[in-house]
Amino acid sequence: MTTTDAGALAPAPTQRKRPIGLLLVAAPVLLVLWLIIWPIISAVIQTLWLPTPDGGRALSVSSYQFFASDPYSRANLAITLWTTGVCAIFLLIICLPIALYLRFSNSRIAAYVQGLAIFPMFVPSIILSFAFIRVLGPNGTVDLLLNSVGLPKIKSPYLTPWGPVIGLVWDNIPLTVLILLSGLGNVSNQAIEAARDVGAGRFALLRHIILPRISNSILVAISFAVLGIFSAFTLPYVLGPAAPEMMGPFMQRTFRDLFDPTNAITQAVITFGFCIVFGLFYVRSVAKNRTP
Amino acid sequence: MKRRHFLISAAAVTAGVTIMPRMAFAAEGVIDVYFTSDQNVIDFWTNVVKPKFEAAHAGITLNLVDGGDGPGVAAIGDRALAALASGADPQADLFEGYDTRVNAGAIDKGLFVDFAAAGLSNYSKVNPLANDIPTRLAYRGSQVLLAYDTTKLDPASVPKTWADLVTWIKANPGQFIYNRPNKGGSGGNFVRRAIFEANGNDPKKFTVDNFTPEFAEQALTPAFAMLNDLAPSLFEGGAYTSGNTQSLQLLGQSAVTMIPAWSDQALSAIAQGVLPETTGLVQLQDLGLPGGFTYIAVLSNGANKDSALLLADFLLTEEIQSAVLTELGGFPGVSWDYISADLREKFADIIPASIPTFPGGKWETAINDGWYRAVAPNVDPAS
Repeated sequence: MTTTDAGALAPAPTQRKRPIGLLLVAAPVLLVLWLIIWPIISAVIQTLWLPTPDGGRALSVSSYQFFASDPYSRANLAITLWTTGVCAIFLLIICLPIALYLRFSNSRIAAYVQGLAIFPMFVPSIILSFAFIRVLGPNGTVDLLLNSVGLPKIKSPYLTPWGPVIGLVWDNIPLTVLILLSGLGNVSNQAIEAARDVGAGRFALLRHIILPRISNSILVAISFAVLGIFSAFTLPYVLGPAAPEMMGPFMQRTFRDLFDPTNAITQAVITFGFCIVFGLFYVRSVAKNRTP
Repeated sequence: MKRRHFLISAAAVTAGVTIMPRMAFAAEGVIDVYFTSDQNVIDFWTNVVKPKFEAAHAGITLNLVDGGDGPGVAAIGDRALAALASGADPQADLFEGYDTRVNAGAIDKGLFVDFAAAGLSNYSKVNPLANDIPTRLAYRGSQVLLAYDTTKLDPASVPKTWADLVTWIKANPGQFIYNRPNKGGSGGNFVRRAIFEANGNDPKKFTVDNFTPEFAEQALTPAFAMLNDLAPSLFEGGAYTSGNTQSLQLLGQSAVTMIPAWSDQALSAIAQGVLPETTGLVQLQDLGLPGGFTYIAVLSNGANKDSALLLADFLLTEEIQSAVLTELGGFPGVSWDYISADLREKFADIIPASIPTFPGGKWETAINDGWYRAVAPNVDPAS
C-alpha cells in the first residue's frame, strides 16, 4: 500500500520551475544593482573623473591625493579605525560571556538577562545620546550618586573619543549577543558532556569544544558590528569630540556645511573600501557554511 | 482554490495601488510653510501666527512643516525649481529661515517672489539693517547672548566686554563652553565675535562680496589664534558641544557657568524650566555677539502664492512683530519705530538698537572649515 501511494505522487517538476525561481530572485537582485551597486560605481567614477578648469572632465586621483596628504583627514580616518577596533574588542569581551550564560543557564533569571541584553535594540541612538549626557555627562546621575556617598566625581567621557565608544558598544550589544547565541546553538550538549566526562575543565571546554565551533559566528558578529560602527553618525556626532571626527560626521559636514561633494564622496569611497574588507569576511564565512 | 486566487488577485491589486505614483496637489487655501528653524520657532507659529492669521483671513489655513534644517528645505527648493521647469505644482508656498541663494540659478529663473516688487503694504517698515536681496524678507531677528548661572557668578561682576570675558574665562578654567560653529549659531556667532575682535571690531569690514581666500586668511588667522589661546581654559580643556541644545544642557546641569546662547532659545528654555530661574543673560557692551535676521521666501510658482504674500505681509504687522518680542524672545524684523512705545521701553535694556551681523556665503565655509582645522584639533585625543 505505502509503496503504491508513494509511487502515485507526481514527479518533482524540476526543470519547469526554474524560470520562476530565477524571476523571484530577479527583483531583489535588480534592486540591489540599482540602489546599491550602481551608486557605488557612480561614486567611484565621480571621484576619479573630475572637472578640469577648461570645462571638460579628465581622469584624476587628486581628491584621493588630497585625502592622503591632509593630516586632518588622516586623523579622522585614524580615530574611526581606533574607535571601531576598540568597540569590537569591548563587544567581544562583553557579549561572549553573556551569550555563554544565556546558552548554558536554565534559570529563570536568564530570561531577564536576555531581555536586558536585547533592550538597546529598541532605543533610538539620538535618545541614547541625550540619556548618556544625563547619566555619564558632567554632574550627571553617576556623579550625583557618587557625590551622595562622598566619592569624587568621575572624569566624564562626554566629548572625548570614549563617549562614542561607550555609546556604540551599548548600541551593538543586542545584535552581537543574538549572533553569538545562534552560533552557540551549534554546540551540542552531548559534546560538552563527553568532554566533561573525560575530565575537561571549564577553560579547556571553552577553548577546545566551544570556541572552534563558534569561530564563524564570532567573525560574522564582529563584521556586522564593525560595518555599523565604521559609518556610525549620531553617537559620534553628539558624544564625540569636535576633532578628530569619525568618518560619518566628517562626510556629512564636508557635504552639507562645506558644499564639497567631491571630497565628501571621496571620503565615502575610502570608508567603503575599509568596510568591504569586513563585508568579504562575512561573505566568505557564509559561503564556507554553505559548502558541507 | 478559488479563495486562494481571490487572495492573490486582491493582494496584487492592493500592491498595485500602493506603488502607483501618487498624484498629490497642494490643497486650495492651505499655505504650505516649510521651516528651517528650531522647534521653539515652530511652536511660536503654531500658537501665535497660525491662529491670528486664520482668524484674520477666513478660508485660508496654514500647514506648518518642519523641514529639519537649511539643507532639508533646500531640497524642497530644488524640487520647486524642477517643478518650475516642468510647470508642475511645487506643493510648497513659503519657506521660513531661508537663504534663496542656495538653489543654484533659482533667483535668475524667477523661482522666488521679489518682495520689492510684490507690493506688500508693510514692506517699507522692514529694518534697513536687515536688507539683503529682494527675494528675502526679514520678519524676525535673534541675537546671541551670554547665558550664565547667577548662583555661581554675581550679576554685578559679570563680564561686559570681550576683554573682560577673556579674563573671566581664563580666571575660571573649565566654566565656559561654546558649540561648534557649524552646529547651531550660538557658538558660530561667538567665533564671529572673535573675528570682529581680531579685526578692529568693525562689522563693516566684512561683506558677502569681499571674500577672497587671501583676505580670509589674513582676517581669520589671528581670530583662530585667540580662540586657541582660550581653548585650555574651556570646559574639559577645550571641548566643544555639538549644538545649541547641548550647551543649554551643560549649563542646566551646572557643569559650566557660562555659555553663548540664542536669546529666543534661552528665554524659552527658562520659561520651560530647562534652564533654572537663576539663569542670567547679558550682552557684551563694546560690541554685541553677532546675531542675525531670519528671512522668509515665497515661491512664485506655489499654488497659493497670493495667500502666502498675504501671510508675508501679515508677519510684518505690529501684532506679530510685538509677539516676536514678547512670545518668542527674538527681536522684530521691522524698524523699532513700528513697535509700540511701551514695548520699546521695556526691551531697551536687553536688546540694543543694532546687532552686528556677519555675512554668509563663502565666509561661512571658510570659518567652519578653518575652525575645524585650526581650533578644534587642540583637543588631545588621548585625554
